[in-house]
Amino acid sequence: MVRIRRLLWGLALCLGSALASPAIAQQAPAGERCYLDGWGDALRCYRVPVSQSVGQSGHFPDGLAVMVAPAVNDGGREPLYLLAGGPGQAASELAPLLNAFRKVNRERAIVMVDRRGAGRSGAFRCGFERDMPADLEQFSRQLADCYLQRADFAESLSSRQTVADLERVRRYLGHGRIALWGGSWGTRTALLYQQWHPQSLSALVLDAVAPIDSKVFLAASAAEEALRELERDCVADPECARLGDWKGDLNRLLQGWSEQQARTFPDPLTGAPAAEPVKRWVLANAVRAALYDPGAAAQLPYAVRQASRGNYLPLSGLTGLFINNADSMAMGLTFSVACAESLNRISAEEVARDSADTFLGTAFFDLFHSGCEAWPVSAKPYGAPEPRDHPVLLISGSADPITPPVYAERRLDYLPNRQHLIVAGGGHINSRRGCIPGLIARFLNTPAEPLDKTCVAGIERPPFMVDAYGPALGGKAGAEPAAEEVASD
Amino acid sequence: MMGLGNFSTRRMAALLRKEMLETWRDRRALWMAVCFSLLFPVMIAGSTTFFVKKHAEETTRLALLGAERAPLLEQRLRSDTLKVDALEQGEPRALLAGDYDVVLQLGEDFAGDYRNFRTPQLYLYVDSSSTATGRAERHLQERLGKLQQLVVGQRLVARGVAPQLLAPWKLEVRDVSTPSGRGAMLLAMVPGLLILTLFVASLATSVDTSAGERERLSLETLLLQPMPAWQVIAAKTLAVASMGWLGSLLAIAAMVALMPAMPLAELGIQQATTTAGVITMGLLLLPLALLVAVVQILLALRSQSFKDAQTQLSILQLAPVTVLMALDMSRVELDHPLWQLVPLVGQQQWLKSLLVGDPVSLPLVLAGSAASLLLVAMAVALGARALRRESLLGAL
Repeated sequence: MVRIRRLLWGLALCLGSALASPAIAQQAPAGERCYLDGWGDALRCYRVPVSQSVGQSGHFPDGLAVMVAPAVNDGGREPLYLLAGGPGQAASELAPLLNAFRKVNRERAIVMVDRRGAGRSGAFRCGFERDMPADLEQFSRQLADCYLQRADFAESLSSRQTVADLERVRRYLGHGRIALWGGSWGTRTALLYQQWHPQSLSALVLDAVAPIDSKVFLAASAAEEALRELERDCVADPECARLGDWKGDLNRLLQGWSEQQARTFPDPLTGAPAAEPVKRWVLANAVRAALYDPGAAAQLPYAVRQASRGNYLPLSGLTGLFINNADSMAMGLTFSVACAESLNRISAEEVARDSADTFLGTAFFDLFHSGCEAWPVSAKPYGAPEPRDHPVLLISGSADPITPPVYAERRLDYLPNRQHLIVAGGGHINSRRGCIPGLIARFLNTPAEPLDKTCVAGIERPPFMVDAYGPALGGKAGAEPAAEEVASD
Repeated sequence: MMGLGNFSTRRMAALLRKEMLETWRDRRALWMAVCFSLLFPVMIAGSTTFFVKKHAEETTRLALLGAERAPLLEQRLRSDTLKVDALEQGEPRALLAGDYDVVLQLGEDFAGDYRNFRTPQLYLYVDSSSTATGRAERHLQERLGKLQQLVVGQRLVARGVAPQLLAPWKLEVRDVSTPSGRGAMLLAMVPGLLILTLFVASLATSVDTSAGERERLSLETLLLQPMPAWQVIAAKTLAVASMGWLGSLLAIAAMVALMPAMPLAELGIQQATTTAGVITMGLLLLPLALLVAVVQILLALRSQSFKDAQTQLSILQLAPVTVLMALDMSRVELDHPLWQLVPLVGQQQWLKSLLVGDPVSLPLVLAGSAASLLLVAMAVALGARALRRESLLGAL
């Protein structure tokens, strides 16, 4: 009888446990169901409390916003944390990457942490929501006002704090070792995390690498090199080659850019002249921005050629490709980190050397330089990197206008276990292209084994725009007779 | 007679031992139960794996006629899933009858018309009677659509128009299903098949222990023993149910063991069956196993002969399972909690929930199981009354 009763108890417990735990036992906190734009499946969202010791203006009543795409089948593999660029971009903006990382996500949770001052963790926007003022002085004034209002908060933001917060989130979620994917400035954060918390890290995937001692805001030479590579590829393409010396056209266009041209430059959304005059430095930065994405870069030769003949429409349309990207940066965070950790290390001599003989000149640097004058945060140096033996996968685009492959090749000797994928003609960030997502998944599963890189060569530049009809599908006059021959057969 | 008056635990134990022995000694019945139990988990796992693999590896062969007029088109159409062969000449029908899934032909002055914005024609030859056509068209559209988007984008830029003007809004799809819930579609058949396993696994034994014993004239001897008839029915029910239950437990074990080998993650499905869930599934099938066993025995006893019993039970095993599956497929929602008190329906719903890791209500499971057990008791009483009728033995 006793035995029967015990059996019944056992039965009740079994049922009870089956009923009480609907899903698998989750790590510490359950989180809330939530969604991010660009990814259709539900995520788990958390608010991770952080300390308030940074001063009253650094108040964080809501904690850090953390978004987790749970592994489809959790086999206990290390989760992958995504670190966004900028500085000033939010990890939650990286949700579209989940489409490329589907394979990774089958067995690993993917974690996005909005760092303090970005995205859902109290975005520090300084009122720059959509449009950047085209006037540098006005830009500086607005920044200065913003700084004065929240000087303590601005001072508190740093890579060191972000790395400490990441470590806090890792513990909060009950994760053991974690893998990091960093993009652009996110690679800097990842490399610093590797320096300061090596025991918490399993592997690094760095796309568009900004090594710890690199000066990424000196971008004129890199942009020039990217433009030269575009020129070389254009010359190699018979259709694009017909556009002639468009690069020379660009230099002449920028040098002779007049007030009149700035005021009549058309707006790609309305077709009317732009509300803010498009000044020389804005135009140079627009060309630089087009180099980030090979699809946009492929339209540069034709657009520049047309502009040199007085038709600004294609160049204006090209700037229209980047309209939606403007609001993703939290400018307060951007300047807090960039000024304290990068701009202050750059000398006037280096600027002169970098910008000499380039189409960009100091147009990009000036934006940050004048911004930092309105943003007087103290310098926050890191110290020289120490050797680390984690497996590291580096990804570069050969025509990246801001983090060229030489950064990853020359400045990471302290990482003995690194592999480097270089996408020919690739721009800034290549993790979504071609076979790269598959290689990332394979690297994370077997980080010690060298990857077969042959498929990377199969990633091609998109076809050049050669005329108003777009890309040349067929050969021009020269190829025509062949078609006629077939027809007459 | 019917009372519990001369109930003896010792005699009952002896009877039960005899029934169990006879049941489990029947190798053929045992093998049939085991084989059927393993059959459907292996089939489900196998077919899922096969389809996913086939879907992932499927490639389309495209013959491109007149490719020399648009080399870039040929180059941009090529992908891992679309193999493009540029042919100078060919007859579309013959090509489709050969190795090719689809044939794309460029109009005469394709490149010229394209350059002059005259919307040149592309002719797509398909064989809509071929099973590969749908997939082939999809593969082609994927590539062609991308190229078209690229051309349209460049044409807009060339005219100073931000391509986003073509997208007045962006539709963001938000899927409210859970990764484990997505398995429900794939695993929808499993509860029905588990219940079918109960029927099939106990079929041979139930016929043998009732109609069989009657034909071998050993049932008469059994009834001459000084014990109540309900004991005879109960012992037989327990023995038969043990076989059915074993079959379904084996099927559950095989199903759960095979799940990790199935490419569920590729389908975005989370395997959410817990150990506690598996044990629960086994336990809640027990009352049903008893009910199936006793109903089978009663029907077999009522039948004219061994053969007749087999026929009747074969129909019996299909009827309820067919109804359950039909209800499930036609999306008839039996979601009122009272439905869970109905045998078969209740078990099916609980199994479905447990398979995808959803919670089930403990009170309802207990009440539903009690309802099944009550029916078992009633059936045993009914059987006992039937055994006392001499006509039953004379049914030969």
